[in-house]
Amino acid sequence: MKNVIKVKNLSKSYDEKEILSNLSFCINEGDIVAIFGPNGCGKTTLLNILSGINEKTSGQVKIKTFDEKKFSYIFQNYRETLFPWRNNYENIAFPLHLGKIEEEEVRRKVVEMEEIFSFKANLGLYPYQLSGGQQQILAFMRALITEPSFLFIDEPFSALDYGNNLLMRTHLQKYYKKYKPTILAITHDIEEAVHLANKIIVLSKKPAGIVEIIENNAPYPRGTDFLNSKQFALTKKKVLLAFQNGAYS
Amino acid sequence: MKKNFLIGVILFFAIWWVVAAVHLLDAFFLPGPIEVLIELFTLLANGSLNLDIYVTITRVGLAFLIATLIGVPLGLLLGASTKVYESFEFIIDFFRSLPATAIFPLFLLVFGIDDSSKIAVAAFGASLVIIFNTAKGVMNSKQSRHIAAKLMGASKLQIFKNITFWESLPQTFVGIRTSVSLALIVIIVTEMFIGTYAGLGRRIIDFQYIYNIKGLFAVILLTGIIGYAINMAIVLIEKKVIHWNGK
Repeated sequence: MKNVIKVKNLSKSYDEKEILSNLSFCINEGDIVAIFGPNGCGKTTLLNILSGINEKTSGQVKIKTFDEKKFSYIFQNYRETLFPWRNNYENIAFPLHLGKIEEEEVRRKVVEMEEIFSFKANLGLYPYQLSGGQQQILAFMRALITEPSFLFIDEPFSALDYGNNLLMRTHLQKYYKKYKPTILAITHDIEEAVHLANKIIVLSKKPAGIVEIIENNAPYPRGTDFLNSKQFALTKKKVLLAFQNGAYS
Repeated sequence: MKKNFLIGVILFFAIWWVVAAVHLLDAFFLPGPIEVLIELFTLLANGSLNLDIYVTITRVGLAFLIATLIGVPLGLLLGASTKVYESFEFIIDFFRSLPATAIFPLFLLVFGIDDSSKIAVAAFGASLVIIFNTAKGVMNSKQSRHIAAKLMGASKLQIFKNITFWESLPQTFVGIRTSVSLALIVIIVTEMFIGTYAGLGRRIIDFQYIYNIKGLFAVILLTGIIGYAINMAIVLIEKKVIHWNGK
């Protein structure tokens, strides 16, 4: 597996207040990485630096074959990134319409996304006519329609109830099995992190440093039976221990 | 139409009727609503106001059209850059604070004494309101959508066309609604005090000079109804165009 993201001694400060402290880690192509840590420790700042939204204060960030068109980011405030003046179809298709791709191909890709995410809502409606959960799925479909090599997600399933959350984990794995993107997901849900990620980066409280990087190599797709497995319980315990060390030390 | 609309209408005429009935003001100078409505229907039925209505609405329509065609693109352009807007802010705010009718003599010098000076001064005042609101709409548009589109690979022009323009629309409509009312006010005032062959403003001042008080109130009432109708028409268009507003 080749490294596609290399971060070395990355630090970030705002007004001389240190947010991120000396982070170093590598991510392989096709990894699903969960970034897990206490609230407000700087997880979103880390993702924003990697995506180029925020500047780093010091350190190195190298992302191989990083190209805007092969990169998607689903924000925590996903509702504010949807376009209420465009209907659901036009929202999903927006990144493809930017690239002037033929409408027939666009339609084919939208249908594929609908199938992967079992999206049943009317595409002729507008985002504000959908439930919070459906809007979040819409944001996923729009982000993945370009088949990105990198997918960054901030709190991936925050608007979903537990049943729909489990369903979305299944859908995301279905997409992952087909297109194998490298995924970085911020989460505060330990079960979500262990269920989906093959690598869990546990961050300490502010200024955030890496407490531990925990490998989690169960094969994909991981169904709900994985949640009852010994490996799941063991990994969860390791993550919890690292979290407690980082949060309370 | 809203459910409580009729309550407002009834209240308006009831207060007027009470004030007139108890002779709070001299009955000669404030006729009751029934007399005024009868006078209005008579004037409308015999067609003596037709030309005035046509002329005033045409002037307001042209002023509003010119103001929108100038105000919206200019507002979008100024709002796109905070630095550019700040450079023009003083000029916009200065003229916005100044009653448009006060600079009418200047417009008379440039456009002459015919209709064009009246339309120009109304368009000038109305366009400033549209420029100000459109620019504010652009400047206050949500950054999260801009960042999301940028990360999807959208160019600056694509972001402007697909996001900034749409984000600014609710505020632009606030400007459009205010500007049409302003255009009507300026046109009526110029018709009243600057010479013209026809117009509702001219009718108001003529009726005042000959002490036709019922006629005077009938035209005032008609002007109010026209202003209200134009405002409602814009609200309907606004609801259709910016269907997502407030949702």
